[in-house]
Amino acid sequence: MRAAFSAQAFMKSAGGGKDSPPDSAARKIAHRLIESSRSEGQGADSPARAAAAACDRLYRELSRWVGRDGCHALFTRALAQARTDHPALGKIQLHARAEPYIDGVAEAIIAQGDPATAQALEAMLVSLVELLGRLIGDDMSMRLIERSLVLTEVRGPVSENRREEA
Amino acid sequence: MKVDEREPIKALVTGVPGLDTVLGGGLPEFSFNLIAGGPGSGKTILAHQIMFQNATVERPSLYFTVLGEPTLKMLRYQRQFKFFDPTMAGSAIQFVNLSAEVMDRDLDEVLRRIVSETERLKPGIVVVDSFRTIGGQHAAAVTDPLDIDQFVQRLALHLTSWEATSFLLGEYAVEEQRNPVFTVADGILWLAQATDRNSVVRKLQVVKSRGRAPMPGLHTFRITDDGLQVFPRIPEHKRLRHEQVRRRLSTGVPGMDEMIGGGIVAGDAVMLTGPAGSGKSTVATQFIAEGLRQGETAVIAVFEEYPEDYLARANARDSDVGRMIASGKLELIYLRPLDLSVDEALAAILEAVQRLGASRIVIDSLSGFEVALAPTFREDFRESLYRLVGTLTATGVTVFMTAEVPEGFADARFTSEKVSFITDEIIVQRYVEIEGELLRVMAVIKVRGSDHSHEFRTYEITANGVNVGGPLKEYDGIITGVPTLRAKPTRTKKRTPRAE
Repeated sequence: MRAAFSAQAFMKSAGGGKDSPPDSAARKIAHRLIESSRSEGQGADSPARAAAAACDRLYRELSRWVGRDGCHALFTRALAQARTDHPALGKIQLHARAEPYIDGVAEAIIAQGDPATAQALEAMLVSLVELLGRLIGDDMSMRLIERSLVLTEVRGPVSENRREEA
Repeated sequence: MKVDEREPIKALVTGVPGLDTVLGGGLPEFSFNLIAGGPGSGKTILAHQIMFQNATVERPSLYFTVLGEPTLKMLRYQRQFKFFDPTMAGSAIQFVNLSAEVMDRDLDEVLRRIVSETERLKPGIVVVDSFRTIGGQHAAAVTDPLDIDQFVQRLALHLTSWEATSFLLGEYAVEEQRNPVFTVADGILWLAQATDRNSVVRKLQVVKSRGRAPMPGLHTFRITDDGLQVFPRIPEHKRLRHEQVRRRLSTGVPGMDEMIGGGIVAGDAVMLTGPAGSGKSTVATQFIAEGLRQGETAVIAVFEEYPEDYLARANARDSDVGRMIASGKLELIYLRPLDLSVDEALAAILEAVQRLGASRIVIDSLSGFEVALAPTFREDFRESLYRLVGTLTATGVTVFMTAEVPEGFADARFTSEKVSFITDEIIVQRYVEIEGELLRVMAVIKVRGSDHSHEFRTYEITANGVNVGGPLKEYDGIITGVPTLRAKPTRTKKRTPRAE
């Protein structure tokens, strides 16, 4: 069997609650997603809004592959998992088939502050990357996410205005 | 235009062992195909295998998922197969989910999305899985039943115009073949699982293949970690026998060559029958070991015992056997998967014979082979074995088969009545009781086109193998198993020494 699904890794990650080490592949790619959003002008003055834009982008691109419902299921699980360690996510809501996908960012920033909200959204992204890796393998999940970075650069990011309007 | 001036349609290699043979040389390029079958029949695996075989970064494969198996789960399970190369995902292999368009019940939008993605990626292969869900979603919604017909027509035209070889996957029942997609499709592959008591056998049929002459009938296939492997039925016309040189091969059993008339005729099918414990496998191993000593290569197909046990016994008599396996001169094939088909067995044996360039093969035993077969194949065992032996001997290899016959002292049957007709040479072993002792005797019943011994001869199984002794000329009624002394008993002088 080619797929390397480690039961140990699954137990460690699936338990939820604890953030991944800073040098983990999931955290690195989450950083890249957020940095990519920021460099495109998404939430340049707000790390939390940049992180939310990264989530929107990942939702949009992954939906192409696994469908909106499949992607929403992944985000829902990742949100639930990250919430245990990050109270800022209590204000965050996911709206399937809507844009922006991530809602409640402004309320979370007011309640918990921008840095805490950014950290929480990043934790959710990390959780999603790890979850996807456990389901289809780290190598393929990384490739799909990398692909979403490339495609977004081609198509352009979600408009910040639409988030503000929402 | 003359026939030889016609532009041949390029064939696409499927990457599925055996399938290109069944298809008559692969799939026609740019064809519009339907892969149909029930749940769990292997449609998605087959499509993935074809897709990974043909995908390149320049000409990627595009896989549209609709409703049904969620994409995440599909990827999770498909990546377990060895052909699934995760590094191709996102570049040479592209997945696109169409569930939103389908749930909106807008056929035009579904078509528009398929066409726009095809236009964007310029794929060589396009798969829609499951196409049935598109039709199913719209069945209740459409007011004009022609909508689906037109959709299929337009889809086929678009995909062919974009020079894509396409596959629609769907769960269809046999009675649904009037569905428009069956008419439009250039090729239809039907996958099925046939259940017989506790046995399930997978079968594939090429129902339709425009521009090709596929092999007719149902072909068994198996799904393993490698994906699908199809075992084509052996066609009648391929059993043309090569011209054989009447060269004799030594059996390696002292005294036996003389009984046969100088050894086994090269390229013949030989059957050795006898009751349990009569030494059939020992003779078979000696036959192989002799070939190896002569510099030949050989294959042993084992059905009755584990290869480790078989090898240990063979090695105990002749250490060359193990050494030859290590050096690649001999291959031991163990064929005891669940629900074996004759074509699968033949494929495994033929592959080994061709890979080694083997000149001798042992099938040990036909009795075990028959038991290993799925019940559905036991019914036509004679016919299947006829094809198997015919195909093997047509390659020039000498086939040595063993078969167990029930021992009955009063039973005059020499061979299994089911299979003796397929052989060129028949040797029988049996037990006889003489003076309160159980002795082993053997006789040659048939050597096609050659004279041979007509005597019953005693033989003994020693630490080094079987040794043939002298005839039992002074006894009558050997055939009954309980001979009677005809003349003054002089047998003890002629008997060969028994093994210590």
